[in-house]
Parts: sequence; structure tokens; C-alpha cells
Amino acid sequence: MTKQLIEAYASQAESLHGILAGMDDVRTSAMSSFLEQGFPGTKNEEWRYSDMRAFHKKHFELVSGKSGIAIPEPLGDYCARFVFINGRYDEESSDIGQVWKDISIRPLANHFMANESRVDELIKGSDSVSLLNTALMRDGLVLSIPSNVGIGRPIEILHVMDGSDNAAAHVRHVIELGEGSSVSIIERFVGDDSAYWTNSVLQARITENAKLRHIRVQEEGANALHTAKAYVNLGGGSEYICTNVALGGAMSRFDANVRILMDGAQATVNGVALAATGQSHDMHTHVSHLSGNAVSEQVFRTIADSRGTTSFQGKVTVAEDAQRTLANQSFKALIFDKTAQANAKPELEILADDVKCSHGATVGQLDDKAIFYLTSRGIDPETARQMLVSAFVAEALEKVDFDDVKTSLMGRIASWMLERNADKGTGG
Amino acid sequence: MAATAETRQQVEDMSGEYKYGFVTDVEMDMAPKGLSEEVVRFISAKKNEPEWLLEWRLKAYKSWLKMDEPDWAKVNYPKIDYNDMYFFAAPKSMDKPKSLDEVDPELLRTYEKLGSPLREQAVLAGVEGAPRVAVDAVFDSVSVATTFREELKKSGVIFMSFSEAVHEHPELIKKYLGSVVPQRDNYFAALNCAVFSDGTFVYIPKGVRCPMELSTYFRINAENTGQFERTLIIADEGAYVSYLEGCTAPMRDENQLHAAVVELIMLDDAEIKYSTVQNWYPGDKEGKGGIYNFVTKRALCKGKNSKVSWTQVETGSAVTWKYPSCILSGDNSVGEFYSVAVTNNYQQADTGTKMIHMGKNTRSRIISKGISAGKSQNTYRGLVKVLPGADNVRNYTQCDSLLVSSESGAHTVPYIEVKNPTAQIEHEATTSKISEDQLFYCRARGFGEEEAVAMIVNGFCRDVMQHLPMEFAVEAQKLLGISLEGSVG
Repeated sequence: MTKQLIEAYASQAESLHGILAGMDDVRTSAMSSFLEQGFPGTKNEEWRYSDMRAFHKKHFELVSGKSGIAIPEPLGDYCARFVFINGRYDEESSDIGQVWKDISIRPLANHFMANESRVDELIKGSDSVSLLNTALMRDGLVLSIPSNVGIGRPIEILHVMDGSDNAAAHVRHVIELGEGSSVSIIERFVGDDSAYWTNSVLQARITENAKLRHIRVQEEGANALHTAKAYVNLGGGSEYICTNVALGGAMSRFDANVRILMDGAQATVNGVALAATGQSHDMHTHVSHLSGNAVSEQVFRTIADSRGTTSFQGKVTVAEDAQRTLANQSFKALIFDKTAQANAKPELEILADDVKCSHGATVGQLDDKAIFYLTSRGIDPETARQMLVSAFVAEALEKVDFDDVKTSLMGRIASWMLERNADKGTGG
Repeated sequence: MAATAETRQQVEDMSGEYKYGFVTDVEMDMAPKGLSEEVVRFISAKKNEPEWLLEWRLKAYKSWLKMDEPDWAKVNYPKIDYNDMYFFAAPKSMDKPKSLDEVDPELLRTYEKLGSPLREQAVLAGVEGAPRVAVDAVFDSVSVATTFREELKKSGVIFMSFSEAVHEHPELIKKYLGSVVPQRDNYFAALNCAVFSDGTFVYIPKGVRCPMELSTYFRINAENTGQFERTLIIADEGAYVSYLEGCTAPMRDENQLHAAVVELIMLDDAEIKYSTVQNWYPGDKEGKGGIYNFVTKRALCKGKNSKVSWTQVETGSAVTWKYPSCILSGDNSVGEFYSVAVTNNYQQADTGTKMIHMGKNTRSRIISKGISAGKSQNTYRGLVKVLPGADNVRNYTQCDSLLVSSESGAHTVPYIEVKNPTAQIEHEATTSKISEDQLFYCRARGFGEEEAVAMIVNGFCRDVMQHLPMEFAVEAQKLLGISLEGSVG
């Protein structure tokens, strides 16, 4: 990193001192670790498919205020909606809907006010982007669900950016599920056309027999950079179901870091990425089986068209004691154009012997025979392609349990296909 | 496995684990210890090399000095002190033998003891039905004997040690040396380029199908030495050759370095089948000693319709770092990689392949079987890359790992990078332990546990084994059994 960049980031962390109670030391140490590492380059194995050039060139700074951007319609029915504008909680546009008995939901700031020792529970991260999030976080949502409370409809957490170029938001959400509780959250990211940066970290602790559904919909503005990480710890018999949908932004990356700490947990991490016109979407998973009798599933489907790149690095590690582990992973990519690219690195690291682990990966284009089959039955080629793409992507959206949300997502994918076809000016 | 009783007998005969662990007592001619420009000059002078080759070595040495030892592989070993080993060792008694008769009898006895490699002795003795294999035997740093040369010459095949080829066919060496693996390719390849001592050179002329299998047998004997050989095989238009490679070393407590470079070049319609049975000394049960096997192997399918097939059975070495690769640059060329890697005790293997698709309609197939026993670590690492100009590429990859012990590790790290929409790439990987049901089934039919495991393992490796030449396959199958002895229970 250049000297100017180092100074800019360091002074920014200092300017935040005193903002969240008890956080000063954490910020300082995270910032110094970050400055030591700098932003990763393509030589860094974990980042080889992420285009981080922009970060090496310019300083992204925290912004305040909002310019009154229109808040988009929700994806589906929700039980509460929390809106963050430019990384700050916006009470005005949020809709808490009903009275939340027993359930503690509050912005990060109040959370720390209530109890300074909670700072210890924050995950500091080890990669430079998470470290920067730790050093520069100002706001986020803290959600604690008490034992045996189940919430039916999802909670939507909407992130809106209407900043300027170089604007950055470092948001941190902390989610805790008591024993036997269940909740669904939709994290959604939208923004205007400026070249801003969203850097979000979500940490979740899912205790015994609890269940967290996590849907991420990334629809950032066309020039945006998006980096996000989810740290999830799973207790005995608990369940985590994540579906990541990457549609917007110029460059996006999502890391799911899931640790199975106790026996019998289930982790599902699925994802869809559609990249065109120079976009690059990079999805990473690391599922660590640290305890046995657990199941993990991963299904990823991506499509790359003109100058688009989709990448997937999925890692499953099985520790020595994690016997009777079942882990499956499936990655399939479609490429529509010679300027597009698909990368995959599905990785297995297995130290226990009584396991069944597998991964499969394919890269190709739509099957000509399937298109021929459909067209010979009177379906026009464009619709045929549309149908095949929908079926292809649907596998990765299967775990989105809310029909209205799923329909909205499928609709987005269909319109992406229409746009692609229109761009090419062809019917197939 | 029918050979089980025999295998067991062999193991008992060896009264140990590694049957090739003996040392041959011959006087050695060594380079001064350590690595410096002087040592590079010494080796070159010793081989009476032309000036251009010395320059080539020195260039490699200079770039090596600036390079860092790779650390991305999943292997751990103490830092190698390059100044505490000998980079050149040659049996003193021999200065260029003209025929087998002139070779030091002590050396011949070594190869006799090793069994299979100098099989042609039987052929020479007129034993009917014995396989006909021409062998180049490399002892420490130099080639000691090359058999069947006259007969091969008749069909125009050049098969000789590398140092001879430098003098006899400098035009070919100049043209192709380093054309597939450049001097700066990687740390160990650069080291090899600087200090390589000998190796094998093969040229198959246009339209010739090599009348017999060619083979090189590598043997490290001297203490504290590294072995750095180079193999260069050129198959001209329409040529075909099947090449076998075997290797062993004495049991020593220190680790020894083996950093070889293999370059294969195929012109239009040519085919090379390259088979390796790697049985370097793996170290003892406590993980002491053994060979560091850091090898760069690469094939260039330069011509149209050319084909290369790598088959390897890796049972030896303390640490293996090896990725036989295929650059498929000619249209319609085909690359294949079949591998069985067995690790036991404290062995570590990080091996796999790279398929770089550059030409149109190129196809590749990867079948990799890893078996981890004891406290070993076994990693498959591979890359399938399709460049934008490569239309209609087809790849199929299958990597399976079998875990035989609870303390071993099996890892799979495949990379897939595709830049062309017409490519069809498939990758499958599985990891599991030997199924209880299969074991029970075999046990119920009266097989001992070890026998049952050997049988299941052999079945697991079948897809690869069937690509080995016949006589090699038998040896490899026995080797599998021996490598896994004592790992069950």
C-alpha cells in the first residue's frame, strides 16, 4: 500500500475512537494488523480470483448523511425491516412492525453501551478486509433470539448506499440464537451508480438445536465494490442455511466461514452468481467440521457472459475427531461468451477416516440437445434458453423457503437473461 | 490379490519394509560439497560439455539464486541446506563403458539385486518370452549402462544418456532443451538446470513406432548427495514410444534430494506413453530419512493430433512434490494422467497434474487415486485451464481418496479455469474410508484383514493400473501391497 493510503486508513480508525464503548483497543490492534498485511494481491492464494486493484489505488472513506434515495420495495413479506443508509441505521425508513417481546434487537452502538464486555465476543478476523471492518465498524444490528422462540417471517436487513465515489460502509451484524430458537434474515444490498465500497461482516452464534436461515441478495450499483463475510458457529444439532445471490456491483466477494463445533449440526451454503459486462463475482466457502455426525451441503450455480467472471473457492475441512461426517459440494458454471470466464477451486482437507465427502464441478454452456428438444416442440429459442437457465439456477435456490422471496429472485434472474439477449440482439 | 502370499513372503524376506535399502560399495568421484558457481563449472567440466551448455547452466544458477523455495504445497520438511550436500557423484571405476561387459560388476550386481530393471539379462541369455525392454541405468549422477542400443539404432531410434547426446546430437539438444520447462520455471527446475548430472535422451524419428519399451532406472547410492537428472524425449511426426521409469535408494537416516526434470515433446500425430513406478526410500516408521522427490515433469503436445499419457504409481519418497503436466497446444491433441499415490507412516505426497488447453478440440482425462495410511498426508493438486482460443475442449477429472487410518489425511485441491464457452469440463472427487460392508464381505469369505484391504485397494486403483504396461503393472500391484503392510488394524 502507498504511504498515503496507510496514513488515510490509520487516521480514520483514530477518528472513530470513543464512538463505540470499549472498542478503542480493538480498533487499534485490528488496524495495525491490517496495515501490516495491506490489501491482498492476486498472488495471495485466497484472493487469486478477486480483482482487488481498486483497493490498492484509492482510499475509501466513511461517509455520513443521506441524500434521500428511494428505498426499494421489500423482497417479500417480512416481520421487520431494518434499513442502513451509508452504513448507519436509519430509523425513519425502518419498519419494526410489531412489538418485540423478549427479543433484543438494537443497533450496535446501544449494544456496547449496555455491556462493554460484549466487545470480547466480536470476531476480529484475520484477512485484511475483515480486519478493516473491525477497525472501522460504526453500526450494525444486534439480534438475540431467546431460547425456544421461533420467528416465522424473515427479518429484512437492507443496506442502501447513496454516497459518492470512494464512500465506504463497514457494517457489522451480530446474531445470537438461543437454544431451540429459529429465525430467518434477508440481507440485501442496493445502491446508486457511484463507485462505493460495501464491506459487511455478519457473525452468528447458533446454539443447540437452533436454526438460522440466511438469505443474501447482492444488488449493488453497477460500479460498486462489495466484500462480505459471514462467520457462523454451530452448536449441537443446530442448523444454518445460507443462500447467497450475487447480481450487482462491479466486483463482489462473499466468504462464508462456517464452523461445526458440536455433533449433529447441519450446514447448507448455496449460491447463485450472474456476471456480465466486466463484473466479477467471487464466492468462498470454508466449512470446518470440528465435530462429528454432522452434514454439510453446498450447491453453487453461476453464469458468466460478456467479460463477466464467476469464481468459486469452496473448502471443506474435516478435523481428526469429526468422524461420521457427510460433506457434499456441487459447483456448476455456464459460460455464454468467449470473453467470459469461470474459475473453480473446490477443496477437500480431510483428517478423519470415517467420512463420506465428495465434490463435483462442471463448466460448460447450455446443452444444444436440450435447446433443440424444446424448440422442436414449438418453443422459441429465447424462451428455451430462459427455461434451461431457470432450471439450472433453481437448484441453488431450493433452500429459500419463502415462496414470495424465491419468486422475486427468479424474476431477477429472468430479467437478467432478457437483458443479456437484448444486449446481443439475438434470440438465442 | 493373487500375489498376496508372495507379497508376504517378500516382506518377510526383506526382514524390514524397504527391500531396496542396501548400499553398493563402489568408489565415488564427488564434486566439492555445497553449491556455487565453481560446482556448476566443475560438473560441466567433468562432463566435458560445450561452452553453450555451461552458459545455460550458469544462467539457470543465477536465476535460482534469486528464487524462493515454494511453500504452497501441503508438505512440511526442514529447510534444505544446499551447502551440506554433494551435487555430483559418479562411480569412479567407470569412464564411459562401451557395453555392459565393461560396466563395474559391482554395479551390475546392484541392478541384479534390484530385480526387475535389468531384466534384459534374461533376454540376453535367450530366455523365451521374456519382455524386451531397453534400459538406461542411472547410478547416482551418471548413466552407467544403456542396453539394446544397436538394435534401436537400426530403426533410427536414439536412446542414450544425456551426456552422450550432448556430444552426439547437439543440434537436437540445443533445439529442445528447456523448451518445455524453461530454466526459470520453478525453484527446483532451476536448480536442476544448473547442476543436472545426467539423464536419458530419446528421439523417435518420423513415423517410427519404437520396437520395444524404453526404460530408465534411477538409483541413488552415495550419501549426502542429491540426484538431478533430466529426461528429454522427442517424438517426431507420427512416432510412438512407451517409456518406463523406476527408482530406488538405500535406507539412510538423512534425507536426500531428488530434483529431476522431464520434458516430452510431441510433433504431429506423435504419441508418448510415460509410466513411472516411484519407489524411492520413504523413510522409516518414525519418519526418519527418505527421499525428497521434487520433480518437474511436463509434456508439450506441439503437433496436431498428438497424444501424451502419464501414468504414475507413487509409493516411495518421504516427501513428493510432483505435477506431471500437459500443454495441449496442437489442435485435437490429447492429454491423459493416471495416478495412484500411496502414503504410509509419515510420508507426505502433494501430487497431481496440469492440463493447459490451448488448441482446438483438445481433450484431457485425469484419474487420480490417493490412499493414505499411517500418519501420512496425501494431497491431489491439479489445474485444468482452457484458454479463449481453445474451442470444443473436453475434460473429465476424477479424484478419489481412500483413508485407511484415522490419523492420516487426504486432501483434494483442484483448480478449474475456463475462458471458452464451448468447453465441457467435469470434475468429480470423493473421499471415504474402506467400506465396512466390503471388508465384512471379504472376511466372511475367509480372507484375512490385510488381504481383504489389499484386495479392495487394488480394486480401487484398477482404473489406473490397467494403463500400466503389463510387467510394470504386476510389480506395481505388489508394491501397493508392500506399502500398505502393517497399516491395518
